[in-house]
Amino acid sequence: MNAILMLQDGKIFSGKTTGPIKEVIGEVILNTAVVGYQEMATDPANRGKILVLTYPLVGNYGINPKFNESPQWQLSGLVVKETSRIISNWQAKTSLEDFAKKQDALILHKVDTRSLAVYLRHKGEMLGIIAGLSSDPKALLAKIDTYRKSQTRDLIRATSTAKSSYLGSNRARQKIAILDLGVTTDLLAQLQSLGAGIFILPHTATAKEITKTKAGGLIISNGPENDVSLEKIAETIRPLLGAIPILGISTGLHVLALAMGAKISRMKLGHHGINYPVAHPGSFKAEITVQNHSFVVDSDSLDKIKNVKAVGYHLNDRTIEEVANNKLRCMGIQYYPQSPGKGQVHSVLKRFMHQCATK
Amino acid sequence: MIGSGPIIIGQACEFDYSGSQACKALKEEGYFTILVNSNPATIMTDPGLADVTYIEPLTVEIVEKIIKKERPDAILPTLGGQTGLNLAYFLMKEGILKKYGVESIGASVDAISRAEDRLLFKKAMQEIGIDMPKSGIARSTEEGMRIGLEIGFPLILRPAYCLGGAGGATVYNKQELEKFLEKGLSVSPVHQVLVEQSVLGWKEIEFEVIRDSADNVVIITSMENVDPMGIHTGDSMVVAPAQTLTAQEYNEFVDLSRKIIRKVGVTGGGANIQFGQNPDNGKIVIIEVNPRLSRSSALASKATGFPIARVATKLAVGLTLPEVINQITGKTSSFFEPTVDYCVFKICRFTFEKFPQAERVLNTSMKAVGEAMSIGRNFKEALQKGIRSIEISRFGFGCDSKDSITDQLLKNPGPLLLQQIKDKIRVPNDERIFYLRYAIKAGLSIDEIYSLSKIDRWFLDNMKQLVELEEKIKAARATSRDAEPEISVDVLREAKENGFSDRQLAYLLNSKEDVVRQIRKKQNIKAAYKLVDTCAGEIDAEKPYFYSTYETKDESRASNKKKVVILGGGPNRIGQGIEFDYCCCHASYALKEENIESVMVNCNPETVSTDYDTSTRLYFEPLTLEDVLNIIELEKPIGVIVQFGGQTPLNLAVSLRKAGVHILGTSAENIDIAEDRERFKRMLQKLNLLQPDNGTAFTFEEAKGVARRIGYPVLVRPSYVLGGRAMEIVYDETTLEKFITEAAKVSGDHPILIDKFLEDAIEVDVDLLGDGERFVVGGIMEHIEEAGIHSGDSAMSLPTFTLSADILNKIREAACKMAKELNVVGLMNVQFAVKDDKAYVLEVNPRASRTVPFVSKVIGVPLAKLATKVMLGKTLEELKFTKEIIPTHFAVKESVFPFNRFPGVDIILGPEMKSTGEVMGIDADFGLAYIKSQIAAGQNLPRKGNVFISVRDKDKRTVIFIAKKLHELGFRLYATEGTADALSKNGIPVKILVKIAEGRPNVLDLMKDGKIQLVINTPSGRIPRQDEVKIRSQVILHNIPYVTTISAAQATVNGIEILLKKDLKIKSLQEYHRSAARKTKG
Repeated sequence: MNAILMLQDGKIFSGKTTGPIKEVIGEVILNTAVVGYQEMATDPANRGKILVLTYPLVGNYGINPKFNESPQWQLSGLVVKETSRIISNWQAKTSLEDFAKKQDALILHKVDTRSLAVYLRHKGEMLGIIAGLSSDPKALLAKIDTYRKSQTRDLIRATSTAKSSYLGSNRARQKIAILDLGVTTDLLAQLQSLGAGIFILPHTATAKEITKTKAGGLIISNGPENDVSLEKIAETIRPLLGAIPILGISTGLHVLALAMGAKISRMKLGHHGINYPVAHPGSFKAEITVQNHSFVVDSDSLDKIKNVKAVGYHLNDRTIEEVANNKLRCMGIQYYPQSPGKGQVHSVLKRFMHQCATK
Repeated sequence: MIGSGPIIIGQACEFDYSGSQACKALKEEGYFTILVNSNPATIMTDPGLADVTYIEPLTVEIVEKIIKKERPDAILPTLGGQTGLNLAYFLMKEGILKKYGVESIGASVDAISRAEDRLLFKKAMQEIGIDMPKSGIARSTEEGMRIGLEIGFPLILRPAYCLGGAGGATVYNKQELEKFLEKGLSVSPVHQVLVEQSVLGWKEIEFEVIRDSADNVVIITSMENVDPMGIHTGDSMVVAPAQTLTAQEYNEFVDLSRKIIRKVGVTGGGANIQFGQNPDNGKIVIIEVNPRLSRSSALASKATGFPIARVATKLAVGLTLPEVINQITGKTSSFFEPTVDYCVFKICRFTFEKFPQAERVLNTSMKAVGEAMSIGRNFKEALQKGIRSIEISRFGFGCDSKDSITDQLLKNPGPLLLQQIKDKIRVPNDERIFYLRYAIKAGLSIDEIYSLSKIDRWFLDNMKQLVELEEKIKAARATSRDAEPEISVDVLREAKENGFSDRQLAYLLNSKEDVVRQIRKKQNIKAAYKLVDTCAGEIDAEKPYFYSTYETKDESRASNKKKVVILGGGPNRIGQGIEFDYCCCHASYALKEENIESVMVNCNPETVSTDYDTSTRLYFEPLTLEDVLNIIELEKPIGVIVQFGGQTPLNLAVSLRKAGVHILGTSAENIDIAEDRERFKRMLQKLNLLQPDNGTAFTFEEAKGVARRIGYPVLVRPSYVLGGRAMEIVYDETTLEKFITEAAKVSGDHPILIDKFLEDAIEVDVDLLGDGERFVVGGIMEHIEEAGIHSGDSAMSLPTFTLSADILNKIREAACKMAKELNVVGLMNVQFAVKDDKAYVLEVNPRASRTVPFVSKVIGVPLAKLATKVMLGKTLEELKFTKEIIPTHFAVKESVFPFNRFPGVDIILGPEMKSTGEVMGIDADFGLAYIKSQIAAGQNLPRKGNVFISVRDKDKRTVIFIAKKLHELGFRLYATEGTADALSKNGIPVKILVKIAEGRPNVLDLMKDGKIQLVINTPSGRIPRQDEVKIRSQVILHNIPYVTTISAAQATVNGIEILLKKDLKIKSLQEYHRSAARKTKG
């Protein structure tokens, strides 16, 4: 059905929904990756967002539940140029459209996503609303406004686990704890393949509860950014700094940085894609990373903190991508420690597990 | 730097593109560069690009001389294709690199060996746990048979160190295995053939990867072959990025690619990695790795905007990826994986029509001579644009009035038709794309078509969507051609978004192209231009290029400055190749010097003209009227250059002028005089110039009358064609009738041209530059082969080597007279035939010719650049080019042929052009220059051994002198009965060989055993004898030097004599030009 995406500043992009129209509001973000729509749609960090894919042909290889990063569709809306009417891959179980339909999710297609991307590049990421073509623009703007004002940004409550659980063998040589802000399947799979036993703790877990697990290290997982609960989680882990090795991943890094006293700031246009270069001071060796963030650790505020160093930065815009505090045995990465290949583990996770093992 | 030599199938102008980028990249870093390439038509061999330029044969012997003289610190072998890589490998093997302390950069010798030596490669892949198809290396036929039978059929054979799959084959049984093993072993320079399990029908996935010395690796793009495994990737339709891989699969390919480039050991450069993937279970095997710049890397560069050659060169000299800036964005580093927000489609141009005896099927041996790339916001749009880009008179995915099977027939296909369609999609061939449409229309299901073709269902379904849309459009069909069709805005928009051209719409709507255009404009459905910016819009790019699509927002950046549109030549084909791209680039350079913006339109991803920094703005678009007009309407240039891109833009000239576009240079009206036979004839009469007697005819009856009047033999051809397409010398009426039935098909509404054929005349080519007032000859070239052989196939010498001053003056005078009459502003090419001290005008082309780069290199004057400036209003006086330069050195241009790709095709030359490329030999005298040209063209001329001679009666008198010389030089002669008779009578010792059918050992056996070092064989007539054809195909199979004309035989034998007496010397182009300049001054 004919529909529109209206941005917070009133700019309208038209398209069609693949299913029935419902109005949804969310932060509009871009992702420039050519593949991975299923992973993005089910990534808890994307909860509530309106995700625009810049690659125009989406759904070609269908959906297989095993690629889910979480059991459910996390987006408010997915905006694309063209959805494939055929699925063609030996692993495909269902189509993107059917998958969305089952999850009662909204896909807006036939949108000039290139123009939308360029527009957001100029104006910066902002809120948007997907609605029927005949909606009253003024009313839509008012809705966005109301949303913006009342937005509690309390999403981690939904993406985090409700209760603690343990994954892996009880006799695992190494045990670690994950503070779950919206942990992904990929992260758990990598840690498991290292043979680790994993305590998955809700974001509300107290320092005491974390210590009680006797885990050799703590990972603060990725999850929705700029959430109301982040400050509170930072409070929780502050006493743990130096007590056990900590790894913060993406939004987890934000928590770690806040705990250490740094600030988090918003970028005009976030990094969302699989092609971001991260360099390390003093080294010619850099790496290509997967990223999905609109907020970064504020570099000035980080400089003021003792013993903490930015050890990785985005090669082009120099934003902080990796932080280390060797004294406190803390590290954080802004990018995703995505598995580099079948059954393989990202070097950061290996490094962290190694650190956890050495006393 | 080693270039790739002549354009051949599998190695085209993509290496000029990468070589030019490399030259520039090294200069930027302050290196002194020495270049060797035998191909004069390249931009890279323009003096000025490298510090020292050698146009010399690419042999170990010659390159060693250059190394000895220039003493380079390093050699960069990765930009010259397989030729460059092989040459470097042999320089290493023979210890030459070591001797002179030259380091191989870009790809170390070890890395080259690991990728090219099948055994080492296999071992390396095993070590990193990557599967390969089951295989074994055969060094002999017996070994190959053993391996093959063990693995089981079908099998793929790949000769080692061979380019573009030359000699490769898919074999299905014992006989074929044996046959192709023999062939493969003989073509492989190291006599090895890989016998491999066939993964026919698997997905073919490619990745372009770059790695630097700090071990940083980036993936430039993935590519998916629409045609699955079994067809050479150079012949396949390809999309970028891959469309049917899951994120996890993509990730796995990336991981493998990184592991492979590390294992192979590329430490400062790029590699193309080809994988096969089983579509049923995802199993991946590695097919091959090319640790160098390649056709695929050129395509990947153009598809993403990432200049792989430039970056790879910087890495080769030690820079790291983070240090190299991405010039497209102008602000980010090259350590960044490009991403796209469009679909790129590559489609190939074939020339089976040139080789009617060749089997019209595609396999693992590459046959395409060119390619076009198109960009769309979806696959359907890119597919349709791609089809109209390859200029086969098709305007999209069918429904353009050119379909060979009508919709009517397809509605109710009989069993025969159905079988034909099924066969055509099962056995890969150049028309398969259209048969896929017929199959869909005939009601075959996607699954059925998939099981026949193994083309992924995703692509097939997209094609089906086009067919469905076609029906939707047809519903709005107008009742008569004059009535305006009533098509809804929505359907019209949908059609344009899916790539339908106005031509297709006009056909479907029973209307006319310009009417559709008007309707479109009225509805405000106009092309929007989007960017190739390496980053999917994430960064505001400084130097992007453009493609059209139908979207809401136009991102074009047309300025208000003075600008000129240059129309490029489109895909390479026989008759229109790199020479024209060279000219287009020079137009851009000239415009830059004149401070005028250049706007390039082209769709050939192999070229320098489609490089991001050649012109002010680049539009990657098909060269059809619709697409070109869209750009002109947007850019509003002061004029359009149609003179340089060959026949492609010239064919648009009249329509463009009708649309009110200003054509720069010689007027469209005068171009038409030269192209229109009758008008041209009247002009020559007026100027009192000679022309072979001629006439035109529309029917056989008319033709018969003309031929009788002017007398046989006659040269017949359709008008408005390129490269002598369907041109033939006819000796009698029966042949004439046969020709006319064929030719009528080729030329449509145009008549057949009939000329008196001047036997044994000397053909002469003249390139001339005019400013409307003054006309200066650029060069007069004398052909080595006699008239009747297409000028594009002839060897020719500049300056001339037998013509008298008197005849040269006649030629000059005639050329200038015609140029004046046609008021030539820019370039003009004239072909003359000289007979009995008379110069006959054969043809005039008021445009850049194939020889412009050759002449420019020889005389040291960039003719195309000057021509551009002349078109902009400069006079030749202002440009200081007022006098013909007659060089004191000699240069010979020789053509290179693709016969080894078309088994069964006779290798004789005629009026129809067959060559794909050219080389140049340059030296102090004609003999030396000629011999260099032969060596450069791959004729490994013998210094001793046995020569087989067999000539037609007409040539027997002349061949005596040739044979005598050969005998004196110590060669042993073999001949067939007739020729032997003539030789013995003249006291020349010769061994008679029995006719092939009459017993053994015959000449075929001798050739097989390597006992014949040179073959001189002139064809006996239009329909050659079976023996001759067998001999000539054996020559190709065993790579034996050969000549098929008596004049070439003469030059060759003279050359051999020189070769025996003198050592070949080298001299750079800059040295030639300097000494020429000194002489002019003196």
